[in-house]
Amino acid sequence: MWLTLIKLAWRNLFRNKRRTIIASIAIGIGLAAMIFADALWVGMEENMVRTATASFLGDGQIHRKDFRDTQAVEMTINQLDKVVDGLSQEATVEQFTPRTLAFGMITSPANVSAISLVGIQPPTERFLSQIDDAIIEGAYFEGDNNRDIVVGTKLAELLEVTLGNRVVVTVAQSETGDLSQEMFRISGIYHLGGDAMSGGMVFVRLGKAQEMLAIGSGVHEIALKFTDTKYGRDTDLPFWGQYSQHGNEALGWTEILPQLQAVFEMSKYSKYIMGGILFAVVVFGIINTLFMSLYERMFEFGVLRAVGTRAFGMARLILFEAGALAIVSIVLGALLGFALTWIFTKVGIDYTGIEMMGVTIQELIYPIMTVEPFILYPIWVFIFTIITGLYPARYAAKIAPATAMRRSF
Amino acid sequence: MANTDVIVTEKITKVYAGNGVPVEALRGVDLTIQQGEFTALVGPSGSGKTTLLNIISGLDAPTDGKVWLSGKLLSGMSGNELSDFRRDNIGFIFQAYNLIPVLTVEENVEYIMLLQRVSKAERHRRVAAMLEEVGLAGFADRNPPQLSGGQQQRVAIARAMVSEPAIILADEPTANLDSRTGADLLDMMSHLNVQTNMIFVFSTHDPMVMERATRLITLKDGQVESDETKG
Repeated sequence: MWLTLIKLAWRNLFRNKRRTIIASIAIGIGLAAMIFADALWVGMEENMVRTATASFLGDGQIHRKDFRDTQAVEMTINQLDKVVDGLSQEATVEQFTPRTLAFGMITSPANVSAISLVGIQPPTERFLSQIDDAIIEGAYFEGDNNRDIVVGTKLAELLEVTLGNRVVVTVAQSETGDLSQEMFRISGIYHLGGDAMSGGMVFVRLGKAQEMLAIGSGVHEIALKFTDTKYGRDTDLPFWGQYSQHGNEALGWTEILPQLQAVFEMSKYSKYIMGGILFAVVVFGIINTLFMSLYERMFEFGVLRAVGTRAFGMARLILFEAGALAIVSIVLGALLGFALTWIFTKVGIDYTGIEMMGVTIQELIYPIMTVEPFILYPIWVFIFTIITGLYPARYAAKIAPATAMRRSF
Repeated sequence: MANTDVIVTEKITKVYAGNGVPVEALRGVDLTIQQGEFTALVGPSGSGKTTLLNIISGLDAPTDGKVWLSGKLLSGMSGNELSDFRRDNIGFIFQAYNLIPVLTVEENVEYIMLLQRVSKAERHRRVAAMLEEVGLAGFADRNPPQLSGGQQQRVAIARAMVSEPAIILADEPTANLDSRTGADLLDMMSHLNVQTNMIFVFSTHDPMVMERATRLITLKDGQVESDETKG
């Protein structure tokens, strides 16, 4: 009997091909939109994470505990040698680089500006940040001149300096707070990220920064890159506990840049809301299709009831029709979703220059297709269609045969 | 109630609410139809023929009165019991044939047996025999829209009779057919009535049906005006 009802439902669905196709396309577009939006979001998330972590942050960082809050110059990483030795032997760590971080002031003959002075080790820094790739004038710490300084385009514009010009950097020293001043020569100008970075971050060699800050061989930060970016998100990774000892603190990017992670978390709810709206639109399409089909065949339903089909059998028939409609729509929607997403995985979507949660998108966003939306969303559509079908199914079950057939018996 | 009394109605009344003004469609109809009768319900439009058939078949409930079919009181049955009872005891033939257009002739005829969970082999055997009986052997795989009106009505007769119900209720079965086809079908049903001893109850205006009926019940204004059994 089930087989006959399924057969009947399937054939009934195609009695009015045009209507069924239009309804299926409408539902399918909803599904395709969900699949595309999911892929776009995965691509955007990947892009933002890559931008945030690859441009300077790294997958994780190690600092002295509380340094991130106080930025105190004297708060260098404890037991640095032990930490460095440990990181060198970590299988999950691909690269790491030490940095000093200090607030200071930069002066040119034309202007003065507050800056964040970053002392870096150029050979290892190139694996953790994109400063070297972002140099648009000059060079990225070629040779061994301790007076080289790399500044951003925005700052160079403010200071009205260009390559080879001299600038003076002033910082406060560790412990004493005495001011330390050094003259540098602009050796490179970079353009990276938003105004905050290119207008405020300047880079000098690590040794020179340590000397200016009077912190000996100490560093404030070790930025690291894992062999797999997923470790950076994994707050349960034993690594963090292992390096959060001796007064130090090891954190993944999700904790260093919590606002970005918060956006990703919020996006899940946005997806649910968007899905809810799309599905609400779809619901009316399904109800309309099923009811139109039901009203057209009212007499036939009366006949089926008259010859002995139970009320539940009638409801089951409508639910099978809803299921058949869902299957056709899912196939259409999945194909449409695949095609749409595939096209944009090739051509990308241009959001470059837009800053979101402190991260400036620098590359085209390419949607990333995953298997999950092709399984999860169709299951949703199917369940949702069946649930929606319950209303017309109940209606069909309650049809009084005599009323339905009032033209005859 | 005699053993041969298959349809018994007792003081059946039916009142419709029609636009706030109650309309009495049936007014105390008492009727007994016995096994093997070939009965025609006749009367002008609005006399209550259709209402009476609805109530006899359990498709509608009387406002007052009782109906027994094969000794069972219909008003005591639940919805599912009524469905099952109709499935097993009543065959319907409609004026507009009312076959399921998306099912083949064979599927239409075997539908009731599917509800009865008859085995596939038995279904196949009975459908083939029934189609042979109504002159549609070789039409099993056709769809109803591919058949003429007369052929569709033959399929409807096959569908009504294949499960061997005690009662066949036919609503104006010849109204949509030309007179020759109608006469052929009536002859066939008359033959089947004799052969199987099933009760046939027709609601009709057709003189050909009246000619062939063994009993003629005339309704007027919701009451039995005359009840004539032919020799």
